[in-house]
Amino acid sequence: MSVVNKTIQEKTNELAELVAWFDGDKFELEAALDKFKEAEKLAAEIEKDLNSLKNEIMIVKKKFSSGE
Amino acid sequence: MEKSIPQPIFSVSDFIAVVNQTFDYAYPTIEVEGEVASFKINQEKFVFFDIKDKTGSISCFMTVWQLRVPIEDGMKVIVTASPKLTQWGKFSLTVKLVRPSGEGALKKSFEILKAKLSSEGLFAPERKRQLPSIPGHIAVISSTQAAGYADFIKILDDRWGGVEVSVAQVQVQGVGAPDQIIKAIEYFNQVEHLPEVLVIIRGGGSADDLSAFNDEPLVRAIASSRVPTLVGVGHETDESLADLVADVRASTPSNAAQILVPDKNEIIRSVNFKVSSLLPRVDQMITQQAQAINLILVTVMDKIETAIEERKSVIGNLKNVLIQLDPNKVLARGYALLRGKPVVGSVIEIETSKVIMEAEVKYVSSK
Repeated sequence: MSVVNKTIQEKTNELAELVAWFDGDKFELEAALDKFKEAEKLAAEIEKDLNSLKNEIMIVKKKFSSGE
Repeated sequence: MEKSIPQPIFSVSDFIAVVNQTFDYAYPTIEVEGEVASFKINQEKFVFFDIKDKTGSISCFMTVWQLRVPIEDGMKVIVTASPKLTQWGKFSLTVKLVRPSGEGALKKSFEILKAKLSSEGLFAPERKRQLPSIPGHIAVISSTQAAGYADFIKILDDRWGGVEVSVAQVQVQGVGAPDQIIKAIEYFNQVEHLPEVLVIIRGGGSADDLSAFNDEPLVRAIASSRVPTLVGVGHETDESLADLVADVRASTPSNAAQILVPDKNEIIRSVNFKVSSLLPRVDQMITQQAQAINLILVTVMDKIETAIEERKSVIGNLKNVLIQLDPNKVLARGYALLRGKPVVGSVIEIETSKVIMEAEVKYVSSK
């Protein structure tokens, strides 16, 4: 897995933790707005990261025909 | 009068050499199509068979290592060969390559090789390895001119990014294709920066076009790749031995890209959905908490009301007692109230419900 993808993965995990917080026992109405803003920011970052990633295609110079 | 040119006199060996030289010059490589007869393998090394049609027959010779697909008597084949006259004066074809010709022969050859490789366990499910969930580096073996390759790259780019894609440009059909693909597999298995997945793709084509992927050495090369393999050859209905031996089989090149990487658009949709579902959840929590608070208020109000009622009841009872203790009530029942000292000779006041009077005490005794 590439370094950038790892970061996306980390952000995705972080977002999953935030979402779980809303469903969990530690949920507090007072903290919910801040947590929501954090989740919204993470989602935007993940979308941006995913859309900015481009595949790098490299044609191997070696020839594979007979005798080469 | 015509002058006769003296004809050279050859030794037998020289003549054989001259004939072979002529063959080499005139027909360095020929392709002959015919039906296989008298097929046999000697010492597990040398292959002999005849190739014939209705009126003719030619002997053929090749080594076992050159025999890349199984053949048997009655099978229609095309041989790529060089004609040769042996030192015993026998004409034969030295075969470099033999391939089945026609749908029936291709199918027959496919089934024989499939059964053979299957008995060796090459297609066994326990041999299959998992592909990484999101590979960072993949190797693609295909023809970059082919539609299948373009489809694969398009779907890959649409679905995911950040993947390093090393591409080996090879022939994906024809006589040279299997060897080129084998070389590319070997190359990617030896490079320092090993890819995480080896993807072999080719779009649709005729049975003959796709027959390169039923080549025994190629199938074995895929089986022995230390890099996990993903093969997507032809259309959904096509089945090749390369498909069967691969760790993961894709139905088409596009499907190979779908298997290889997740769809970023789906991930984005899912992430946004998760976040957008948080606010209603907060609303729900606010409603729940408001309901809980209301419930507490109602309970408290109930308790207060009960306490008030209890107090009212106590006060009512006390009031009744007080009413009963009212001296006027007692007087009304016929009793009288005396004021003064009960001493003989003293004057005391007597109050009834209707009058107040004074009286003199004439006699006092204890009870």
